[in-house]
Amino acid sequence: MTNRKTLSVRLIITFALVAIAVVDVYPIVYMAVNSSRTAVDFFQRPGGLPSPWNFDNFKALYYRFDVLRLFGNTLIGSAAAFALAMALSVPAAFAFAKIRFPLRQSLYMTVIATMTIPGITFVVPNFLLFSRLGLVDRLVSVIVLWAITSVPSNIFLLAAIMRGIPNELLEAGKVDGIGYVRTLLRLVVPLSAPGMLTLAIFNATGWWNDLFTPLIFLQSDELKTMTVAVATILKRFDTDYPLLLAGLFMTSIPPIAIYVALQKYMKKGLVIGSVK
Amino acid sequence: MHYRTKEAMTGYLSLLPAFLALGAIVFYPMANTIYHSFTKWNGAEAEWIGLRNYAFIFSNGELWTMLRNNVIFLLSIPGILLLSLVVSVLLFEEVRGWRVFRSLYYIPTILSPVVVGLLMKMMFAQSGVVNRFLHAIGLTDGQTEWLSRAPTAFLVLLFCFYWQTLGQGALIFLSGLSSVPPDMYEAASIDGAGWWQRLLRITMPSLVPTIVYFTVTNAIYCFIGLFSLVYAVTQGGPGRETTPIDYMIYIKAFQSPGQLGYASALSVLLFAIVLLVSWAQIRLSNRFEP
Repeated sequence: MTNRKTLSVRLIITFALVAIAVVDVYPIVYMAVNSSRTAVDFFQRPGGLPSPWNFDNFKALYYRFDVLRLFGNTLIGSAAAFALAMALSVPAAFAFAKIRFPLRQSLYMTVIATMTIPGITFVVPNFLLFSRLGLVDRLVSVIVLWAITSVPSNIFLLAAIMRGIPNELLEAGKVDGIGYVRTLLRLVVPLSAPGMLTLAIFNATGWWNDLFTPLIFLQSDELKTMTVAVATILKRFDTDYPLLLAGLFMTSIPPIAIYVALQKYMKKGLVIGSVK
Repeated sequence: MHYRTKEAMTGYLSLLPAFLALGAIVFYPMANTIYHSFTKWNGAEAEWIGLRNYAFIFSNGELWTMLRNNVIFLLSIPGILLLSLVVSVLLFEEVRGWRVFRSLYYIPTILSPVVVGLLMKMMFAQSGVVNRFLHAIGLTDGQTEWLSRAPTAFLVLLFCFYWQTLGQGALIFLSGLSSVPPDMYEAASIDGAGWWQRLLRITMPSLVPTIVYFTVTNAIYCFIGLFSLVYAVTQGGPGRETTPIDYMIYIKAFQSPGQLGYASALSVLLFAIVLLVSWAQIRLSNRFEP
């Protein structure tokens, strides 16, 4: 279907693609540019460029809103949640992919079916349970919820990856007499590492962008994740557009950076399941 | 121990941690929600009231507003589906720089709906850039209060939804297009099939599984994924005019004292809807299995 178009058709296509790109990119440029000006400057000339460029909003985010701490909360939360999610998912995925036992298929279907349960439908009992345990308003509540609710989809994708591990390799391990734990740690995990990187990217960006769980379980300002802080703390200043835009811009940087750096792995992950 | 029994034991023990965790954080609370949907519940004391929560949901009129709000998003899916298809077909022509466009289109998809919502809320503010632009090209008087009326508030929400979904859609369909074997096109060309014929007879039929996948994941999103966007843009307002079911559960559970039983019943209803959509997915993808 390619390479046989006339020049004019190719020009029209390019024009359409550019038009869409403008609609996609303009809001992001708007956010970046207007975060670097004062509120007064913004309201005097909202369409134009800042004059002068002014980075006080980022200083305010740093000094008044302790943005590094908010970043840190999300990072620690995501890292711990991913470690916990993998600790639970890797053995289960391995069992579904490579170990034979009765009821394997029905247990697997149970896990898959769990993916369809919307998170909001079971949040109230969890909230009451966690508050009885004294875990509400502690980062650990978010870590546990992030990790465990991601287990079904992680098992699903890890099992798909692990089915590709050659049985001969596992047999050879058995002949060498290495035990279950070492089989997992020395063979299965290293062989699934590229897939696990994709999972890490998807889980981490999902958690970075998540509003619901941290909004409900974290209440103190200093414990919030970046996304929740923008939606709650900064929103109190919602007449100061440039300050809010600076917050939004900083919240967007990590996902965009991850995407730019690790595009290859993201594409692979996004397409899993959509095409045969 | 017998070898098979030992292997089976290893299997079950491997599953145990994951199932214990899911039991504690998903299965038990889900059962708890179902039980409490038949009670009047304030978090401490629950009083059995049978089906009264459900009866109230169906009789107080709120349900139809909420369902309408979800359905408005649902009905917008064909539009974004078509748009994504067109964009992916254009990208597939591989004009100069198409890889750059593909990457740019994906950026909105990776941002949080919270960021997108707050950003668009500012751009659609009364003194915002959208009004200025529409005024400059002479379409409106530039004074539109987008978020204070339901129809225009929906336009803003749908714009956010489209803006975020286009990149994902284009990418999914593009990989669907690439999986069509090139010799099919060659054979068709030799048989004298034109561009349109190839598009309608070869490209579209082979994209059907991808179209089903896109439609169903977005249909599910329209029932369970709107919370962050609505929270950021309209908070469900004006009134309850843009409140979808999941946002209503949040309001009833966390912002209205003593309505946890009602929130539970709404949750069960939402779960039933999502089950229905997933079931449709399984039926559809079986039918379109090549």
